[in-house]
Amino acid sequence: MDSTLQRAADLLAQARFPVFGGLFTDVNGAAAALALAQKLGGVVDHAASEGMSRAARVMRETGSTPASFGEVRNRADTIVLIGDSPRARDPELLEKLFPAKALPRPGDNARELVVVGAKKGKTPAGLRTTEIDGKTALPELVASLGAAIRELPFEIRDAALAKKILSTGKRLRESAFAVFVYDPAEIEEPVLHTVLEAVRHLVKTTRAATLSLAAPGNGEGVNLCSTWTCGLPVRTSFAGETPENNMWAFETERLLKSGEADALVWIDALDGADAAPPTRAFRGISSVVLSSKPVKAGRDDVVVEVGAAVADHDAAVYLPPIAGIGEVKATSADASKPTVADVLNKIGTLIDAKRAA
Amino acid sequence: MLTQLKGGRVIDPAHNRDAVGDVYLENGRIVDAPEGREPDEVHNVSGKIVMAGAIDVHSHIAGTNVTLGRQLMPELPLMASAEGQPILPSSAAWGSYATGIRYAEMGYTTVIEPAMIPTHAIQAHKEMASIPIIDVAGLVILGNDDYTLNLLRTGNVKSDELKDYVAWTLMHSKALGLKVINAGGSEAFKFNARTFDLDEQVPEYGVTSRGIVEAMQQAIADLGVPHPPHVHTNNLGIAGNVDTAVATLEATQAHPIHLAHIQFYGYGKEGDKGFSSGAPRLMEAINKNKKATVDVGQVMFGQTVTISGDVLRQFTARAANPKKWVINQADGNGTGIVPYNYKKKSFVNALQWAIGLEIFLLAEDPWRVLFSTDHPNGALFVRYPEIFHLLMDKNERLRWFDRLPEASRQVSGLAGISRELTLSELAIITRAAPAKVLGLTDRGHLAPGAIADVAVYTDQKNKTKMFSAADLVFKSGKLVVRNGNVVDVSWGRCYHVDPGFDRQIENRVRSFYETYYGADPSWFGVTPTVSDRPDRFATIPCAS
Repeated sequence: MDSTLQRAADLLAQARFPVFGGLFTDVNGAAAALALAQKLGGVVDHAASEGMSRAARVMRETGSTPASFGEVRNRADTIVLIGDSPRARDPELLEKLFPAKALPRPGDNARELVVVGAKKGKTPAGLRTTEIDGKTALPELVASLGAAIRELPFEIRDAALAKKILSTGKRLRESAFAVFVYDPAEIEEPVLHTVLEAVRHLVKTTRAATLSLAAPGNGEGVNLCSTWTCGLPVRTSFAGETPENNMWAFETERLLKSGEADALVWIDALDGADAAPPTRAFRGISSVVLSSKPVKAGRDDVVVEVGAAVADHDAAVYLPPIAGIGEVKATSADASKPTVADVLNKIGTLIDAKRAA
Repeated sequence: MLTQLKGGRVIDPAHNRDAVGDVYLENGRIVDAPEGREPDEVHNVSGKIVMAGAIDVHSHIAGTNVTLGRQLMPELPLMASAEGQPILPSSAAWGSYATGIRYAEMGYTTVIEPAMIPTHAIQAHKEMASIPIIDVAGLVILGNDDYTLNLLRTGNVKSDELKDYVAWTLMHSKALGLKVINAGGSEAFKFNARTFDLDEQVPEYGVTSRGIVEAMQQAIADLGVPHPPHVHTNNLGIAGNVDTAVATLEATQAHPIHLAHIQFYGYGKEGDKGFSSGAPRLMEAINKNKKATVDVGQVMFGQTVTISGDVLRQFTARAANPKKWVINQADGNGTGIVPYNYKKKSFVNALQWAIGLEIFLLAEDPWRVLFSTDHPNGALFVRYPEIFHLLMDKNERLRWFDRLPEASRQVSGLAGISRELTLSELAIITRAAPAKVLGLTDRGHLAPGAIADVAVYTDQKNKTKMFSAADLVFKSGKLVVRNGNVVDVSWGRCYHVDPGFDRQIENRVRSFYETYYGADPSWFGVTPTVSDRPDRFATIPCAS
C-alpha cells in the first residue's frame, strides 16, 4: 500500500492541473479531495454534477423554492411529477410521497397527483391522478401549465389536453400546498425557470414549492461540502489565487478532452452507486483511481482499492428523507480497506514531505 | 511553557480590573504570577490593551442555512466590498476557513452558531469543525417542529415529555443551548399564515407562541441548562413591533430568557412614514426585566444576505436586493434567504442603524445588552470594528449621523446621546457578558484558571483600526495572530450540554420519525467522529 500511495503522490506532485472527478464518496472523502485539490491547484467535479450545476445556476440567477422531502410527503395536497426520471431513479417514490399516515396538513383537498410529460407508470391505488402527456414535448407542456396557472393564454392543438392543462392550472391555484417534483438532470434550464416562476406566482396567495431530486453518488453531500469549504460548489478550480467556479470550464470530461487537465484523480467508492467514468478516462492521462470496485485502468495508472462508504465504513452522506447530510452506520464494516479520506490525506502528507525535501 | 504578557493595560471587567499589569499563560490557561520562576517567553505589551479573547453570542457561521446562503449569493464578498466596505477574508468566496481566520485576526476566540437544525446537526458540526482557530458551539432550534407542538397541544400538554425531548435534542445534536425562532410562526406559515403574533394559536395544535416560549423556558430551567432559551420572537422587522418585544419581555419574567438581535424589534409606528424608533421604550422594558438578556443585531450600511429560520418573516420580506430569494419549506422551521442592501439614503435603513446604536447606548446594564450584528443579517462580522468605533466615539457617530437622510435624523434620538462606551464596557459586551450568559465560565475574563484566550490591541483613537487587527492573539495559550495576521492555524473545540433524560423518549422519537419521515433519528445524531480531532468536544455541566 505504501509504495502505491508514494507512486500516487509522485504522479500528482508533477501534475500541473489535476482534476478530481467522480467524487462518488462520503462527505469526509469530499473534504479530503477538496483539501488535496487546493494543495495542488486542481479542480473538483462530481460525476453527477450536470443536473446540480444547472440547478445551481438557476438558483444563483433567480433563487429557489425548495421543500424538504418530509414536508412534501406530510403536507402537499397536489404533487406535480415532471418527467420520467424521478420514478426511474426511485421506483418507490410515489409510495413515499403519499404515505398512509401524515402530519396535520393545510386545506381540506383530497391529495392528488399530476404527472407531466412522462410515460405511463405505476401510481398508488386509489390516488386521483391526472396525466398530462400526449405527443407534446415536455418543455411545451410545462410552459402551457405555467401559463394556465397564471391564467394566461397558451396554444395546445389537442383540445382534450388543453382542457386538462386548464383544469390542472385551476387545481394548483386552489391547492393548499402544491409541489413540483423533478430531476434537474432531466429537464433543461428554461423549464426549471418556468417551474420556479409558476411557484413564485402561486405563493402570492397559497403555498407551493419544488422538490428537486438529489443527485446520485452523494452529489448534494459533496456539493454542500465544497460550498462550505471554499464558498463555491463543485466544478471549481483552485489553480488561481482565489477559487473560481465555472460550470462549463471545469467539467471533467471537457478538461480531459481539451487536454487542459494533465492528471485525473478518479473516485468511485460509494455503496450502491457507480460513477460513469469520462470517455477519455485512463487513456493517455495519468490517473490515480480510488475505487471500491474492480477498475480497468491503464498500465501506468495508480489504482488504490478503498472501502465502499456506507457498506465498509460509517459514512456521512446526503439522505433525501431528512433533506440533508446524515451519518449511516456501515452494513458490514471492513476496517481492512482504507477510506477515500484516509488515502487522500496520506497522499497529501507524502506530497508535503516530497516538497519539503 | 510560561508566557508573560508584560506591562499592558489589562481590562478584565469580570474582576473590576483596569490597570497596568502582567498576564501569565501556561498550559493553555491563565495562571497566577509565578513566584521565583522566569517566564520562558515574554511579550512586552506596554502601552497596549490586553483583554480576554472576544466571544460572539450570535453569528450565523455554519450549517444548512448558511450554506444555502452561500449557494444563493456566492458573489456576496465581492458585492460587499464594492463601495469600499471591508471585505470578507477571501474576496472570492465566504467559506468556513476564511471565517475562522478573519475572526481570529480581530481577536475573537469563541463564536456561537445560533441556529442548528436538529435533523441537520451533522452538517452544522462538520462545517464548524472546518473553521480554524476559534472555539464554537451551536444552539439547536425547536418550537416549530411537530413533535414539540404535539406535546403542547391544547388540552393535552405533556411537559415532562417535553423536558425529555428538549434534553434528548440537545444531546443528540451536541448543542450548547436551545433556540426558538418565531415560536409557532413557521408552523402557521405551513398553513398559509402570513403574520403570527404572540397570542395567536398554531393551527391544528392550539398552543400559542407565548405558550411555546414559556414551556421552553420551563424545560430549560428544569434541566439546569446554563444558557437560557435563545429566542427570536414574533413580528421581526415590522413597524410597531416594539409592542411585541415589550409584551414578550413582560410575559417571560418567570425564568431567564435571551432575546436575539433586539434591534429588529425596536420599531415604533409613529410619524409621517409610520416607522419610528422604539428604542427608548424597548430599553425601559429590558432595563426592568432583570432575568432578560439581549443581543443587539446592529445594522451597517452595505450589501449582505439575510439568513433566517423565521421563514414566515423572510417570505413576507422577499423583496430582495439583488432580486433573488430562497424560501426553504423544511421540517421544523424552514429557512428564508433574502439578499439585502442596507442603504444610507434609505429612511428605514438609516433609522435601523440609529436604533441599534441607541439600544447599546441606553442600556443601564451592559451585562445584559450584548454585542452582535446577527451576522450576516444586520452586517457582516467583519464590520464589528466600525461599530465599536461608533459606540466609543460620539464624534465619529455624529459624522455618520449627519450624512443620514433628514427625515431619519428628525425622528432619531441618537444625536442627543453623548455616552461613549469605555474599553471596560466594550469588554463586557464582547467578552465577559457573553461568557456569563452562555455559561462558559472559563472564558471572557483573565483570572487564573481561565482558558488562555487573550487579545492584545494597540490603543488608538481610531477604534476601527484598533479592533480590525489585533497585535497578538493567544488561543488556548498558543500565539495564533501577530500584527493582525494569523501566524499559526490551530483548531478549536466545540462546547455542548448533555442534561440527561428518561430513555423512553428515544423510542418515542424513533417511532415519530419512522412514521412521518421514513427516517431513523440515528442518522442525525452527532457523535465525536463528526470531526477527526479526538478532543473536539467538551461538555458544559448542567445545574440539575
